[in-house]
Amino acid sequence: MPAGARGNRPLRRPFPLLLALRYLRSARRDAFTSFLSAVAAGGIALGVAALVLALAALSGFQSALRGEILARTPQLTVEIPSAKDVARFKARIESQPGVVSSERVRQGRGWLIGRGRAQPVEIVGFENRLPPSFPSASAQGQGLYLSDTLARAWGLERGDWLSLASSRPTLTPLGPEPRVRRLRLVGTFHAGRTEQLERVAIPLPAALDLLGAGTVRFEVETKSLERALRVAPALATILPPGSRVRTWKDLNAPLFFALHLEKGVMFVGVFLIVLVAAIALVSDLSLIIAKKRSEIGILGAMGATPETLRQGFVLLGAMLAALGVGLGAGLGIAASWLLERERLIRLPGRVYFLDYVPFRLEGGDLVLVISLTLMLALGCTLIGAARVTRLDPIEALRR
Amino acid sequence: MGVEIEARGLVRTFRDGERRIEVLRGVDLAVGQGEMAAVVGPSGSGKSTLLHLLGALDRPNEGEVVIGGQKLGELDPSALAAFRNQNLGFVFQFHELLDDFTAIENVMLPGRIAGKSPLEVWERAGALLEEVGLAERVDHFPSELSGGERQRVALCRALALEPPVLLADEPTGNLDPKSGEQVFELLLDLQRRHRMTTVLVTHNPEIARRCGRILLLESGLVKPLES
Repeated sequence: MPAGARGNRPLRRPFPLLLALRYLRSARRDAFTSFLSAVAAGGIALGVAALVLALAALSGFQSALRGEILARTPQLTVEIPSAKDVARFKARIESQPGVVSSERVRQGRGWLIGRGRAQPVEIVGFENRLPPSFPSASAQGQGLYLSDTLARAWGLERGDWLSLASSRPTLTPLGPEPRVRRLRLVGTFHAGRTEQLERVAIPLPAALDLLGAGTVRFEVETKSLERALRVAPALATILPPGSRVRTWKDLNAPLFFALHLEKGVMFVGVFLIVLVAAIALVSDLSLIIAKKRSEIGILGAMGATPETLRQGFVLLGAMLAALGVGLGAGLGIAASWLLERERLIRLPGRVYFLDYVPFRLEGGDLVLVISLTLMLALGCTLIGAARVTRLDPIEALRR
Repeated sequence: MGVEIEARGLVRTFRDGERRIEVLRGVDLAVGQGEMAAVVGPSGSGKSTLLHLLGALDRPNEGEVVIGGQKLGELDPSALAAFRNQNLGFVFQFHELLDDFTAIENVMLPGRIAGKSPLEVWERAGALLEEVGLAERVDHFPSELSGGERQRVALCRALALEPPVLLADEPTGNLDPKSGEQVFELLLDLQRRHRMTTVLVTHNPEIARRCGRILLLESGLVKPLES
């Protein structure tokens, strides 16, 4: 560079990138182009932020609901067809890698009767200790366990005697007679707010007495929920024919399907905002191309090929899209974090099972939102930028 | 002196609805290496159309253009773009600088399009701008330059890759007489020093007279005039 001349040393940028960066700067200076670019990038940002927030709210809610349900659902249930060799099968189940414990249970419907009231209940008979699906038990031992809410509502205390009647009567010479057992209340467990039917836990002999022998059923606890899914197929191979192994997923399949569907429908609905914004990107690029018509003609006269020019405008569109996606993702993540941390959206706890709207960001959701938005925006950019290749340099140069 | 630019039987017609307008009706011309020719003629006589054909920006309906021995009709669009980049420099009536690029960046554009090293192109552009007296204006955007300065930058841009041929379409047509004179003097000087074959379209008889040759474009045909 000769002495006296100023100028910064040029950066090693390919020509299409140089063009895109300059036109991005120029879009900021021109009020109308700037407005359209802001609408396109802002629309994408808004759409991405809305998607991130909506998915985080759904994930938070679903995670809380899943936690609530799964705390009261056995990780695995095993049913074997015969009551013979129960101890041997129990030992076989517990010998499987990943299995922590197993409890033989007997389940059925009945009524809890006491203090002049009767309440339909799900009876769960347990063998040794209260199964993990009865969380936060106030005591351990043999006897009757009720939910803390029912105990409170009836004004019950430990040591109170209550009756359990089975829906299965005993046939006597005088006709069917209800099976009723008196049991002493030994403890309570924490009731979830999503439970539709009250549950009571009683010792297995009492349950067998009330409900009959029925199918032999085990509730199996493993090291984790994920481990349970891997243990299930292995268990099926060591049990006798006619046995049935069900995971927590199988037991709640309709619920999980509904949650999955809800998230999918929400995603599609909110993604429409991104679609509209991406279409705005096409009009924005078309406007910039129209405004830069004569410059495009000059560049053509200087030897820029239509492909080079197209690459420049594709990069410009990609930059606007990336700007929108970056801003939107940042905004969505920050808002989700703040809403979760400060619990800003409150819910009436007496009505819902939660007293605030939880937000939970999931990496997979973020990757999906960002990649789909970028793909869509890039597609629209390719359409918008294609216009530059159809521009005749002579027409572009004409004033 | 070898022939640098040759046009043989150039015909160019345009359609205006049902009407067929024949702008060039078989133009033949030859401009020798290092020669400077002015094309004059009334408005609408097809001077710019001829320049666009010579500049490989447009294709004739009939006839052919040969520049430096290369028949332009044989080149596909991308080869034609590369040919323009390497062999032709353009100067237009309205400077046509890119508003978002500084003076030096505008001059660097042909080199950047050609994919040359940015540093090499930057040094060449700086030297050219100094040559035309704009060493202190390299970082200025076109909106910060006067009309004459812009046209000088446009001239530097046309010379950036040292093309053998310079095509100028009314380069002083949009300038006041004083600036126009300065730009034309500069163009003459650069043309002589760089020995470029130049075709210049002008309405100005004085400018045409100072070029080596005058070609009159009338009724779609080129006729030589004495300079």
